[in-house]
Amino acid sequence: MSKKNAVETAEENSKRKIKNDIIFIVALILIVALGTLCYFLFGREGDMVKVTIDGELFGEYSLSEDNVIEIRWGESFNILVIENGKARIESASCPDGICVSHRAISRSGESIICLPNKVVVSVSFSDEKNQPDIIA
Amino acid sequence: MLKRRIFSVILFVCFIFQSLSLTSCGENLQKYSEYSFDLFDTVTSITGYEKTQDDFDKVSAQILDELAEYHRLFDIYKRYEGMENLCTVNELKDGEHRTVTVDKRIIDMLIYAKEMYYKTDGNVNIAMGSVLSIWHDYRTHGIEEPWAAELPPMEKLIAASEHTDIEKMVIDEAAGTVTLTDPQMKLDVGAIAKGYAVEMAARTLEEKGITGYVINVGGNIRTIGAKGNGEKWLAGIENPEGDEEKPYIEYLNLSGEALVTSGSYQRYYTVGDKRYHHIIDPETLMPSDRFLSVSVVCQSSADGDALSTALFCMTYEEGLDLIESLSGIEAMWQTTEGEVLFSSGFLNYTN
Repeated sequence: MSKKNAVETAEENSKRKIKNDIIFIVALILIVALGTLCYFLFGREGDMVKVTIDGELFGEYSLSEDNVIEIRWGESFNILVIENGKARIESASCPDGICVSHRAISRSGESIICLPNKVVVSVSFSDEKNQPDIIA
Repeated sequence: MLKRRIFSVILFVCFIFQSLSLTSCGENLQKYSEYSFDLFDTVTSITGYEKTQDDFDKVSAQILDELAEYHRLFDIYKRYEGMENLCTVNELKDGEHRTVTVDKRIIDMLIYAKEMYYKTDGNVNIAMGSVLSIWHDYRTHGIEEPWAAELPPMEKLIAASEHTDIEKMVIDEAAGTVTLTDPQMKLDVGAIAKGYAVEMAARTLEEKGITGYVINVGGNIRTIGAKGNGEKWLAGIENPEGDEEKPYIEYLNLSGEALVTSGSYQRYYTVGDKRYHHIIDPETLMPSDRFLSVSVVCQSSADGDALSTALFCMTYEEGLDLIESLSGIEAMWQTTEGEVLFSSGFLNYTN
């Protein structure tokens, strides 16, 4: 083997190694990016609406499925409607109607509270950034 | 070459940790919350970071127990077996109020309330029970039978307002007694009791070294330390317009502070087409109509509660003067015209 050939082979080898490294890093970045994307696309579907009456769990429902839930307890009731990823109270037996006039909720930690019926409808906490922990 | 491999592996590990941190919240702490409807005629929520539901339930039960004690002591509507409370202080016997020996916690709160009366130039007055009870009765009736809702007659309110002199609440601190020397006066601590009780419960937690909690009793919010992961709590101040696109007006970063909001949209009744809320101006004896809400950020939720009520009944200029004269207290006003106003340091809490 001539000296010249040996240098060329070494150069080719090193080029191939760099190329392999680049492929390796690009593949890793792609995998992580895909994973993160999946988390944001499908992880959000895990958002749940939790209903409690006087602190006791009444039920949990997915925000991503349209649904109508009758929250009934003795004489009192609240009709919860889940539509297009948002939850709202359609009608209720309470005298003040504050829960019915409350805007629809969809974000982590948001809640609609019906004081007379002791009903809390809340969106479960997700650890999404920039979502309030406290609503004042 | 090997170095480069190692570098890329480290990079990879960093990525993995970063994506994991999106789903977990450090030190295996989880966020739990609980609601109660048993206290102060409003909703109480407790949020906290703990390792297990059991750990959270224990702390939460302690908080609720302490709040329940304050609830019974400060209750003006109900008597409890074997104890004197504000309801028994308000009671008449043979046409007069008795001198009642009460728990030290009641004495401390009443002394505090008197201080706040003078600090706010009479804009928060717990001796206004005679006026507030009239509004309470008309509002309760108006909510139950909306078709028959009425406003209280002004003559009735004015007659009642003759009996709101806070100096006629006589406190003997050494003896632990309180006497209302005007038979027609009544105490109503609605503007102070919740914030005061929350503050006391929060201090108990702090003394025990517990952090990572938020207590919220009907808008009287007190954070105890930062969140479980050491970050500040992010508090959203709700847009009273109920706008789904812009649900919050401001976001505040809190770590150990109190945030108390008095709002006209939380408790009200409707007469004709007009809403009448529950914060009554001591001067006009009518619901104060300048603001949709007033929020106060400060160290103590007792101050927050008293001041947010007082500011609600003052003009913005008067209120601003008061807030700027106090240190460590900031406020935000939302006017009925839709304007949002701040005290000088309020925006230091926003991001």
